[in-house]
Amino acid sequence: MSAPRWQLSWWLIRAQFQTRRTATALSMLAIALGVALGYAIHLINDAALADFSQAMKSVQGEPDALVAPQDSAGRVPLALINQLARDEAVALVVPVIETRVRIGELTVRLIGLDVFSAGLLMPDLLPRQGESIKGGGLFEDGMYASPALLARLQTKIGAGVTAMRGDARWSTHIAGDLPAARPDDLLLVADIARVQAHFGPADAVSEGRIRLAPGTKLTAWLNTWAGKLPPGITLRAAADNQARLSNISRAYRVNLNVLALVALLTGGFLVFATQLTAVAQRSTQFALLGVLGLSPRMRLMQVLFEGLAIGVPGAVIGLALGWAMAAAFTRLLGGDLGGGFFSGGTPAIVPELLPALGFFALGCAASLAGALYPAWLNRVQPLAQALKTGFAQRPPSGRDDALRPRAGKAIALALVAGAALALTRLPALFDLPLAGYGAIALVLVLGIAVAPLVTQMAFGAFARRELPAAQRIAVQNVMQAPLMAQVAASGLIVSFALTVSMVTMVASFRVALDQWLDVVLPAPYYVRSKGVPLPPQLLAALERPDAPFARVERMAAGALNLDPRRPTVAVLVRELDPANPGARLPFTGEILAAPAGAIPVWISEPMQELYRLKPGQTLRLPLLGREVEVFVGGVWRDYARQFGAVVIGATDYRALGGKFEATELALWPHQGGEAAARDWLAREASRYGIEMAEAGEIRALSLDIFDKSFAVTYALEAAAMLIGLFGLAVTLAASVWLRARELATLSALGFNRAMLTRAVMLEGALIAAIGLAVGLACGIAVGAILTHVVNPQAFHWRMELQIPWLQVLPGAALTLAAGIIASRFAALQATRLPAAQVLASAQ
Amino acid sequence: MRRRSFLLAPLLLPAFTAAKQPAVRYAAASRATRLAFPRDHGAHPDFRTEWWYVTGALDTAQGDAGFQLTFFRSRPGLAEDLASPIAASQILFAHAALTLPGKPLLHAERAGRANLGAGFSSADCDVHIGAWSMRRSGTGAAEQFRLKVADAAFGFDLQLAPTQPLLLQGENGWSQKGPRPELASHYVSWPQLQVAGNLTLDGRRQPAAGRAWFDHEWSSEVLAAGGVGWDWIGVNLDDGGALMAFRIRDAAGATLYAHAALRDAAGRLTQFGAGEVSFTPVRHWPSPRNGARYPVQMAIRCGPHTIETMPVQDAQEISAHRPLPVSYWEGLVKIRGTLSGRGYLELTGYAGALKL
Repeated sequence: MSAPRWQLSWWLIRAQFQTRRTATALSMLAIALGVALGYAIHLINDAALADFSQAMKSVQGEPDALVAPQDSAGRVPLALINQLARDEAVALVVPVIETRVRIGELTVRLIGLDVFSAGLLMPDLLPRQGESIKGGGLFEDGMYASPALLARLQTKIGAGVTAMRGDARWSTHIAGDLPAARPDDLLLVADIARVQAHFGPADAVSEGRIRLAPGTKLTAWLNTWAGKLPPGITLRAAADNQARLSNISRAYRVNLNVLALVALLTGGFLVFATQLTAVAQRSTQFALLGVLGLSPRMRLMQVLFEGLAIGVPGAVIGLALGWAMAAAFTRLLGGDLGGGFFSGGTPAIVPELLPALGFFALGCAASLAGALYPAWLNRVQPLAQALKTGFAQRPPSGRDDALRPRAGKAIALALVAGAALALTRLPALFDLPLAGYGAIALVLVLGIAVAPLVTQMAFGAFARRELPAAQRIAVQNVMQAPLMAQVAASGLIVSFALTVSMVTMVASFRVALDQWLDVVLPAPYYVRSKGVPLPPQLLAALERPDAPFARVERMAAGALNLDPRRPTVAVLVRELDPANPGARLPFTGEILAAPAGAIPVWISEPMQELYRLKPGQTLRLPLLGREVEVFVGGVWRDYARQFGAVVIGATDYRALGGKFEATELALWPHQGGEAAARDWLAREASRYGIEMAEAGEIRALSLDIFDKSFAVTYALEAAAMLIGLFGLAVTLAASVWLRARELATLSALGFNRAMLTRAVMLEGALIAAIGLAVGLACGIAVGAILTHVVNPQAFHWRMELQIPWLQVLPGAALTLAAGIIASRFAALQATRLPAAQVLASAQ
Repeated sequence: MRRRSFLLAPLLLPAFTAAKQPAVRYAAASRATRLAFPRDHGAHPDFRTEWWYVTGALDTAQGDAGFQLTFFRSRPGLAEDLASPIAASQILFAHAALTLPGKPLLHAERAGRANLGAGFSSADCDVHIGAWSMRRSGTGAAEQFRLKVADAAFGFDLQLAPTQPLLLQGENGWSQKGPRPELASHYVSWPQLQVAGNLTLDGRRQPAAGRAWFDHEWSSEVLAAGGVGWDWIGVNLDDGGALMAFRIRDAAGATLYAHAALRDAAGRLTQFGAGEVSFTPVRHWPSPRNGARYPVQMAIRCGPHTIETMPVQDAQEISAHRPLPVSYWEGLVKIRGTLSGRGYLELTGYAGALKL
């Protein structure tokens, strides 16, 4: 393009921005919002993952492979460690004993290290002996504390310390610190043999971290060991841990990203609306330029340029906004986006060029896509007609929708509906509900496509009735649904559908969660210690006749690694009645009695889905260092553990040789003795530094966490509604402008301002009503897909659909009112047009 | 790497030096002990310190090459009564080195505790840290030592076959190290071992052949008061004989004790007492690493014999970090004088007093 052409292009863009300041700014803002949201989610998650893997690296080093028990209660025998160490392909095996101990009221990770090997792999964990300490260094009695732990315990090097775990205790002194520990880590390190002597496991370690000799192929080496390992032990690539880590939050992230995509789409839609009106309003200008020699291609390019002129700054603002959001979010909430997957310190946000460019491109693409159809329309405008009568809403040779047989249209719509339905039947792809997202997109398409049909049917009868002239004009305008009205309605359909669907999903989930909490919290009081067995003194005190409880049930939690690339499955050892597990677990179906001699287990819904299990089948679980055959007695609902859980009876667990060390208690006080029981518990809890809670507190906390984790989505819904409303206002204003001649004629015929205003407002109200009605229907459909397809596939959470009419209907009314106000704004613009001048210019 | 050793050293130093007044009773080397093999090729965990040490000269197209592999066993006297099979009561460490003509010395080390990736046998020579190992097997013509070392830069896998009987040093393997009889070790040598196998350099394997010297020594107390280190040499003589000589030095470089043994090609053994053995530095090599001045060219007199060591290269200092930072010179030398051959010269205690 030559310089004058550029200049022309630039003038047109500038003029366009100046005349449609608000519309342009809001389109930009919508694009920015979409980009910002997507980018912020990306940044936060990246930072959280990096932070998490950094923490892991600090404590675990960077081994090539890991040898570990599948059961968290399991162990790796020393013989296997020694066998691995002698493998010529192995450069180093770093054995580690890791456990949790109680120090006063604090639960702390205690890592038993062999300095000779650990020094090479995990230098961050190497202890430093205190200067005041005399004696034999690391191999002598003593523990080494991280600086954070020293501060937390308010103690110093040389002071005595007692670590307890269940019945075992180790009284020693703090012999030094861990100078390279991360600032937040609460860690104790001691010689591996000392830890073993006090806390076990006998003749075994918790884990071995392996570095291979240079030139060794990891997979080939892992294969050489396949089949040679004792049962219940896995040897796996350390990189699997990374995959596991990112799998933990994957579904949650994808969901948020889809929301960001929706914001981007809405932005694109707004660009579409703005550019369409811009093209329409300037049709005479463009026609004139066309006559003067601006080629159709140039007219197309001009509109695309204008789209980019919105997209580029929008995307740039979006990136900045996204970065700011990410920084603010991590500072306020940490890195878990309310998902609860990561916890701990504030991860650092480190923007990288490539993802930033990617999100920038997405923003530009959205605005370009929005400008595509208006640009094409601009290209095909017949110049002479445009000069004379203004904008043609349909391409000259275009097929007239009215002429197309309704039957054909109905078949097409039915096909789309069928496709959407079929998509909801498909299973998850790559563990993600991709087909579900597809179905949602189709439902929205269907809603937009069906809107004109609904309009014609609903208002057809209405229009035949005797109405005052102004109303009849409005009704007819809507009924014939010219492009503008359709655009305005579709904006509302999409935004209201999304809002209704989210509200529906959240409401369904909340109701289900509420009911679920009822069943899983049967006792009035709960006691929990984090990761360490409850102190035996407390358990003994509870056995005494003067303990103020009628009933106490104990529970222990462990973890099983069934698939190295998936997060672990929780093993819950519970004292429950094997004849009636339904009293404690919210079963979703039949409870099957185990055949004689078989060990029954009850699996959670996520476990059933992740590992494709059926009630009534037998299953081999890597429990306690061996393969144990168990019978799946039923499936219970679990909203707490997304990656699966399996419940086994305490009696059976003990019979298998497991050590049942309770970490949680459910307590029922004596009738009328609630106050005494509460005091008793509070006293004991503070003595041993364990958590106690009333069922009501746990319930409130759970619901609170739930609400917080959906806070992000509420913000999105609000944004979507605003964009939808704004789209309505912009398109309505544009359509009024396009009909300036018609309105001027009406005014010349004696319609006064008020009548015209009412006509336009009625039109707006009708469009909004149609949009909201179709949007509501689509929203409920999308809500059902979210509840019945996306949630089960992404999170393995199943629940009943609940439509919160009390939120949805007032929301619809509010939107309608806002729509009417928006159309009033449009009407005012229209009635301000000097009728005579308009009529004169039309000749 | 730097930080690791910095961190590790203060941590482990006390472990190896604190037990000056041992809480444990170590076994003492006794003149009355009659050694029996293969049992005494194995470890003697009741003693404080033990090593299995193999050095050798290899013939390559480029000239004289040398290799060294030593496994050390240390009983620091700590964690003795800890109820754990992996208590750090027996520590193993190993140094391996390769001297190649015209190339910088290659060196690698490993350390570990017994029963946790490392181990030894008390029944025969069978000691390992990870996949590094030294193991004796077979009897008669099939008897051999197998040495395996693999590190990032180099590795070797060698079989050592005896060509001569064992050489029990001192009195039937009881080797006095100082004027007091408590200062002694049990000491067994096996010179003139035939070497076959291969070297791995930068991932490429090449055959290797030559002559090696095996030493196995265990003790609880060897350094006399004031002793800071020793000079030692073991030479496979070109005529099939073997010469071993050592002296214990004080901080001023004066000899506190010395001894030598010469077995000629016919198998006749001559022992030389402290008065008949002397070490005289001829030329020093200053270590650029720590400034230690090693008398790499040394005139040694044993009774009627006068020899001089000619290092194949000067820079053969070994600087190890695990379990403790320690530097010593351990290198392939040629011998000229009244006897000729190739052997290893060991110079310890020049970069700070040696702690055993």
